[in-house]
Amino acid sequence: MSSATAGHLAPGHADHGHDDHHHHATPTGWRRWLFATNHKDIGTMYLIFSFVMLLEGGALALLLRTELFEPGLQFFRPELFNQFTTMHGLIMVFGAIMPAFVGFANWMVPLQIGASDMAFARMNNFSFWLLPVGGIMLTASFFVPGGATAAGWTLYAPLSLQMGPGMDLAIFTMHILGASSIMGAINIIVTILNMRAPGMTLMKMPLFCWTWLITAFLLIAVLPVLAAAITMLLTDRHFGTGFFNAALGGDPVLYQHVFWFFGHPEVYIMILPAFGIVSAIVPAFARKKLFGYASMVYATASIAVLSFIVWAHHMFTTGMPVTAQLYFMYATMLISIPTGVKVFNWVATMWKGSMTFETPMLFAVGFIFVFTMGGFTGLILSVAPIDIQVHDTYYVVAHFHYVLVAGSLFALFAGTYYWLPKWTGYMYSEKLGKLHFWSSLISFNVTFFPMHFLGLAGMPRRYADYAAQFTTFHQIATIGAFWFGLSQLIFLYAVLRCYARKGEPAPAKPWEGAEGLEWTVPSPAPFHTFETPPEVR
Amino acid sequence: MTPEQRRRNRTAGLILFAIVAAIFAWVIFRGSDFLGGVAGLTGR
Repeated sequence: MSSATAGHLAPGHADHGHDDHHHHATPTGWRRWLFATNHKDIGTMYLIFSFVMLLEGGALALLLRTELFEPGLQFFRPELFNQFTTMHGLIMVFGAIMPAFVGFANWMVPLQIGASDMAFARMNNFSFWLLPVGGIMLTASFFVPGGATAAGWTLYAPLSLQMGPGMDLAIFTMHILGASSIMGAINIIVTILNMRAPGMTLMKMPLFCWTWLITAFLLIAVLPVLAAAITMLLTDRHFGTGFFNAALGGDPVLYQHVFWFFGHPEVYIMILPAFGIVSAIVPAFARKKLFGYASMVYATASIAVLSFIVWAHHMFTTGMPVTAQLYFMYATMLISIPTGVKVFNWVATMWKGSMTFETPMLFAVGFIFVFTMGGFTGLILSVAPIDIQVHDTYYVVAHFHYVLVAGSLFALFAGTYYWLPKWTGYMYSEKLGKLHFWSSLISFNVTFFPMHFLGLAGMPRRYADYAAQFTTFHQIATIGAFWFGLSQLIFLYAVLRCYARKGEPAPAKPWEGAEGLEWTVPSPAPFHTFETPPEVR
Repeated sequence: MTPEQRRRNRTAGLILFAIVAAIFAWVIFRGSDFLGGVAGLTGR
């Protein structure tokens, strides 16, 4: 890897990151946020929004786990339980994880490539402010007649054709959040392709920018597919078309094909930027260059390409020709090769490194270990005969939570602790960070590991009630879930402490082994950075 | 940002928006047939 560092800057350019004194003053008050066009402010707003949605989605998860503590119906009728399940999924995917990564991109991409801001600053503002609109609308759908959508986050037909106005609100919300993500993706692509500092060639870019560039292309390619699928749902519901309505000659299974053509790449949209974050942190705390930089880039691109040709592995039970099952099974297995390359490279980077385990590194190593477990269960699920046995069971729930919580969320925590000194100008409390990590890692596994056994024993997902033999594992999972949820308050406190200026003031480069242009500007990063582009050698 | 950079940004942005619109239209008018019907996966 040949990422740019302060040492690579041409003489006389090293201080261009903080030459803001002769430019526009920093706006203040509510106007600063409502009319924000500064990438750092917009990034901060994205991160705050996503954390609020994480809390909302998390609260819904705890309601689900409360109901599941004992067999029988304790607190909620099944219809409400299914609404909670659906909204938990929608909120976490579209409200928490995706916007959080866009927040990271807003903050870090311009800083890492030496750009003064995002390419389309006003569109950036618009993409952000669509999010609260969508979030409020989705939450408000609980209060319309019939309540929120209860068709699962996939909004499968024919259920989604039959539900009340809560479904329309969910569809409209997904349109809005999708439009926001498309604008964000266009912004990121154009910023990276057109606004890199002189000398910052594509193969010198930090891997986080590479993973985001590829992710943004994935978003451009598949979000219109989702938009089309839910538009067809909408016209089926209100305008008499019959795309997915069997009574009108349509086919509900067609919805699944179109949805998963979006849905599988969506999985990688939520994990590729996480790979980028981990690829920044592991070399910094191993004090070595990233092993196999070029192969990391190619592996990321390979994963993205493969993600388009595996969609029907989500649908093995719908009935398809054996040849199609074989094709989707083997194509899915292929993804483990570039993913394995990445895991190998991270481990090789750590090999014989001078490693220290500050909180970002703990989360990064935790990510590698636990995400790989999720990857392995994904490989098991790719085997069609096994998938048919455990389809729609808790085994699948365990699998994708290992990927999305211990994967995406842990990487987001790692990245937050890593760049928090740059964002706030203050060091977080290492004690709190480590407590947060160990508490999260253990409680995560207490919550989700038993779900593998529940699934293998036949416990179906999205059910409010269950047979008595599943009780013990469900109780363990519920205890773990509350523990995990409470652990996140430690994170909130640790972050707020930095914003409250408690803790050590952070130097420009708080991590000895860190590389990249972002560490050449002071901490906190000034309002305007790189107005004169740095020259990268 | 230089005027040249601004012009290149606008062009790139418009191309990407056009791609998004094209994919959206294609999925509704042709893609749903392709993904489900032509691939012979929906049993139709």
